[in-house]
Amino acid sequence: MTFQTMLATMAVGMLRTFGVFVLTLLGSLPLGMVVALLKKSRFALVRALVGAYISIMRGTPLMLQLLVWYFGPYYLFGWSISGWRFPAIVLGFVLNYAAYFAEIYRGGIESIPVGQNEAAVVLGYSRTQTFMRIVLPQVVKRIMPSVTNEVITLVKDTSLAFTLAYQEVFSLAKQISASQTSFMPFLIAGVFYFVANYAVEFGMGLIEKVLDYYR
Amino acid sequence: MIVEMKNICKRFGSHEVLTDISFGVDSGEVVSIIGPSGSGKSTLLRCATFLETIDGGEIWYMNERAAGTDTSGRVEYVPQKDLHRFRSYCGLVFQQFNLFPHYSILRNLTDAPIHVQHRSREEAEDTAMDLLRKMGIADKAKAYPYQLSGGQQQRVAIARALAMRPEILFFDEPTSALDPELTGEVLKVIRQLAEEHMTMVVVTHEMPFAKAVSNRVIFMDGGVIVEQGDPYEVFENPREERTKQFLRVFER
Ligand SMILES: Nc1ncnc2c1ncn2[C@@H]1O[C@H](COP(=O)(O)OP(=O)(O)O)[C@@H](O)[C@H]1O
Ligand SMILES: [Mg+2]
Repeated sequence: MTFQTMLATMAVGMLRTFGVFVLTLLGSLPLGMVVALLKKSRFALVRALVGAYISIMRGTPLMLQLLVWYFGPYYLFGWSISGWRFPAIVLGFVLNYAAYFAEIYRGGIESIPVGQNEAAVVLGYSRTQTFMRIVLPQVVKRIMPSVTNEVITLVKDTSLAFTLAYQEVFSLAKQISASQTSFMPFLIAGVFYFVANYAVEFGMGLIEKVLDYYR
Repeated sequence: MIVEMKNICKRFGSHEVLTDISFGVDSGEVVSIIGPSGSGKSTLLRCATFLETIDGGEIWYMNERAAGTDTSGRVEYVPQKDLHRFRSYCGLVFQQFNLFPHYSILRNLTDAPIHVQHRSREEAEDTAMDLLRKMGIADKAKAYPYQLSGGQQQRVAIARALAMRPEILFFDEPTSALDPELTGEVLKVIRQLAEEHMTMVVVTHEMPFAKAVSNRVIFMDGGVIVEQGDPYEVFENPREERTKQFLRVFER
């Protein structure tokens, strides 16, 4: 197998990895905000349920969670799980990362001085306006470093999809390396992850710069 | 009467912070509230501006009741949409300014008029620039709060409150967070507003200012109004022993 064919074969895996990555972010970034707001709900029951959800997501291995989401429907309800692989992976990642993002958001929201809220309320802003116009923009700026960390972790965590025999870049590297007795696939995979994270850092750095106009 | 507080009681848990407080403010009046720290001055302003809910008594604005005790003795506020109107009658200037750091100075003054009061951007910006000129900081319109001194920030905060065209403006120790050399510029602005007959209630420790600018002085201690009256009377000729004691500290 030439280097080119190796690269071409693995490019498919890279695309699959990228798919999991993008869908996870699209799902978990907004869902995390919903979870964070529910965690601050007026109702104790809602707070308790959301707290339990966050604890479970953070307290058990993501690999285990993926297995549960994939095989759960079959073992619990006897449903067929053909075609369920990719949705199960995305679901597992989204729910797991939403919990982490929720905690980051909550910390960010709680770090905004109460005076900001009070000034807005006295000026007549509604609760929604106060959150969207005054609090949220400041939260975004404060949490950028933590979010960057989490996104970088996600890039590397996508390799966990191999647990469900999903042919992403890492599992392909393992297979090709074994069949070709070559170390090259691992190098290619390593470079891929590194470049992906470099792009993430660069992108997030740009956003942080844009938000640098105030203190 | 612009605002009337009747028999206000306020508790935090079992700790009664305000006890049977009554006072009213007429249009154009400037009232100073003085008193030791912890006497409930901030809580009183926060109740008047609907940041805290009262546990007893009544709040009236423009001869309309915003809150009061119902037949069962519980305090009831008007519904949310009416409360919004009552909120628009009053402005509050905080000790810590609380400007919005992510908005330019101009936007700090125009955002609420545009998005809360639905005034046109053009009109809101004209009003804002007029106010900034009056505060002597028109050149800072495009700057951000962190680029301003404390005195300038507090003047922006006053302008932000005025941009909403309130009937009455409350100040909670507007100069207490400022370096001494910066208090003058803020007091000057408030004095100017007093000359224009803006209705104001000012909590302050600046005794000469309170004496010179206000029509009435209220002395609070331990959650009650100990004494109120003409500033000259209260400062030069206090009736109550507690007032005398408190003022003695400031004479040194
Ligand atoms: N949110 C709160 N929860 C509990 N106690 C409070 C709260 N706000 C104020 N207090 C208490 O109420 C009393 C009056 O406080 P405050 O109104 O801030 O006084 P002042 O402004 O005159 O210094 C103080 O004993 C203070 O500890
Ligand atoms: Mg106070």
